[in-house]
Amino acid sequence: MKRLLLPVLSLVLALSGHAAERTLIIGLVAKSQGNPVFQAARVGAQDAAKELSAKHRLNIQIDWRTPNEEDAQKQAQAIEQLVLAGAEGISVSCSDANKLTDAINRAVDNGVPVATFDSDAPASKRFVTYGVDDIECGKQTMEELAKVMHGKGVVAVLAGNQNAPNLQKRVQGVREVAAKFPGITIRDVYYHKETPQDAAAKVEQVMQANPDITGWAMIGGWPLFTENALKWAPGTVQCVAVDALPAQLAYIRSGHVPVLLAQQCYEWGHRTVELLIAKIIERKNPPAVKEISALIPVTKDNVDAFGKNWDKWLPK
Amino acid sequence: MSSPLRHLFRFQESGLLLVILALGVLLTVFSGTVRTPVFEIGPDGARQRVFTTNDAGERVPAFVEKNKFLNAQNLAQLAKDTSFIAIMAVGMLFVIITGGIDLSVGSIYALASVVGALTFQHFGPAGAAAGTAPAVAVLLGALACVGTAALCGLANGGLLVALGVHPFIITMGAMEILRGIAFVVTNGQSIGGFPPLFRELVRKETSAGLSLVPLAVMLVVLVVGWIFLSRLAAGRRVYAVGGNELASRFSGIRVERVKLGVYLMSGLSAGIAALIALGYYGSASSGDGQGYELSVIAAAVVGGASLTGGRGTALGAVLGALIIQMISSGIVILGIDQNYSRVIIGAVIIIAVVLDKFNSWLAKRRLTAKAG
Repeated sequence: MKRLLLPVLSLVLALSGHAAERTLIIGLVAKSQGNPVFQAARVGAQDAAKELSAKHRLNIQIDWRTPNEEDAQKQAQAIEQLVLAGAEGISVSCSDANKLTDAINRAVDNGVPVATFDSDAPASKRFVTYGVDDIECGKQTMEELAKVMHGKGVVAVLAGNQNAPNLQKRVQGVREVAAKFPGITIRDVYYHKETPQDAAAKVEQVMQANPDITGWAMIGGWPLFTENALKWAPGTVQCVAVDALPAQLAYIRSGHVPVLLAQQCYEWGHRTVELLIAKIIERKNPPAVKEISALIPVTKDNVDAFGKNWDKWLPK
Repeated sequence: MSSPLRHLFRFQESGLLLVILALGVLLTVFSGTVRTPVFEIGPDGARQRVFTTNDAGERVPAFVEKNKFLNAQNLAQLAKDTSFIAIMAVGMLFVIITGGIDLSVGSIYALASVVGALTFQHFGPAGAAAGTAPAVAVLLGALACVGTAALCGLANGGLLVALGVHPFIITMGAMEILRGIAFVVTNGQSIGGFPPLFRELVRKETSAGLSLVPLAVMLVVLVVGWIFLSRLAAGRRVYAVGGNELASRFSGIRVERVKLGVYLMSGLSAGIAALIALGYYGSASSGDGQGYELSVIAAAVVGGASLTGGRGTALGAVLGALIIQMISSGIVILGIDQNYSRVIIGAVIIIAVVLDKFNSWLAKRRLTAKAG
């Protein structure tokens, strides 16, 4: 009887312990559903939630509330709704910092800490922001491109959504570095709807109208999410792009793109959830409000090793 | 059935009200509870947290447990989120009743927002005319915003009357042109820095922390739309044009003037929604309002408007917007995976239209039975 009683008691204790686990909801508001970098952030957040749930004996859940297309007003509404639905922390990538500042401040005033990633709201009461330094990102893109172009040629800049403040900063960084190379001229900055097809069509249109372009500085990797976006022989036109998603890696292997600069998009979700849980549970603030994540250069040498990360980072 | 109940079910929007009631009950029952911090107004007039003492004698923040759906904050939030689309849906309804369509409302909303924002910024704390009397600044900014939208609506109406082209084509062209102008005007930048008075007016909160100005504006637009369409001869002319344009023309109705008027109304309503959103969110960019045309048309259609013209009510359009927003908010409240939200909202739009068709068929059958 005693032999039976012990496991039964342990089971009851374990079950009651499990039942007592507190559920803690973290809201995750990215810019748009369709962009794979944000899906990686979502996986990162979910992984962090699992790891930290075990560590703190909590049931941490990620509540993903991201507009289908970029819409700052919908993001602000999502933040307000998350606060009312009982989220204890929110991580957000801002489509329009001005428009989200009030919503973030209200969340913080209601006792819900907010972290930003990828695109910040600097005037808000968010306690931390995590992501690349956008001006540096633009600079690094242009530096890598200038290197492979040997400091001369005509460059086009592919810049995505004209309203995104982080992309505007990257364009600024590209321009600053390009100005240091007298042999390089920037033909123009080309904006487009941030879908792979629209971006690929834009590259095609620009190349048809400007066949003298010899380099592309892509401050986001949009067209490279499609196959055959770069319709030139490898090496004839140089291209350096930000991000290194699985589809983009094929362009490294084909030789069309010598360097991709990978943002740590999985970490956008993972790290901000870590920072939020530290703030909520351990009452710990990060050492600095800005936590910069480095860009990882991906070339022919490390493309296969880097590609293996995506097995973990993409939603199953 | 007792007489008041029978009267209720004869009421044109009774089906929509029943759907809203059913959704409300479902959300209340299944949403569970949420712990929210308690606030009070401090001696300095600012909102501050309330603290209490726990069993160990420590001073800890006070919390209150509420139903996630059925609480004042959530209902005010629901009303606010509904208001922008509902205001535009009332304007769009005028167009739809005439058998037309306005695909440019999202772009009118964006252009009105950025023109209004630039004007407000000009009079804002860091603007060139920072010293202007706040009331004058607010009035001029509001005029710029609503006036721009009204002009865009008038241009739409004028073009389609003058050229005799289908409204789909004219407003689709306008959708691109107006968003393009919004981008050129702003150079892709987000515009903020408005006079504090404007933001305080729109965000004014009750003592319970509820922001009710968007709801109040929505109700005013609803009442004006309802009076216009159901009580004025001008409203009956709108229905007449949508019911049978040729017959309206032969009966002496100036069809062109009616069409001009309804596109003006649509533009105007987009301007009012843009103005309220400007005050509430505090900035504008050329990317604002993308895809809103579809949400606005969906609200009007769910509310009982017929895309072939001649049918629809202002109350129906507002209730249609409310149903869509309740589902959208409900998905958050119930913690349903957001990946399914589009599927759910799309299905609800189709179900609502099918139910409405069925209801019309039943009403026709009743009338036929009565007559014969």
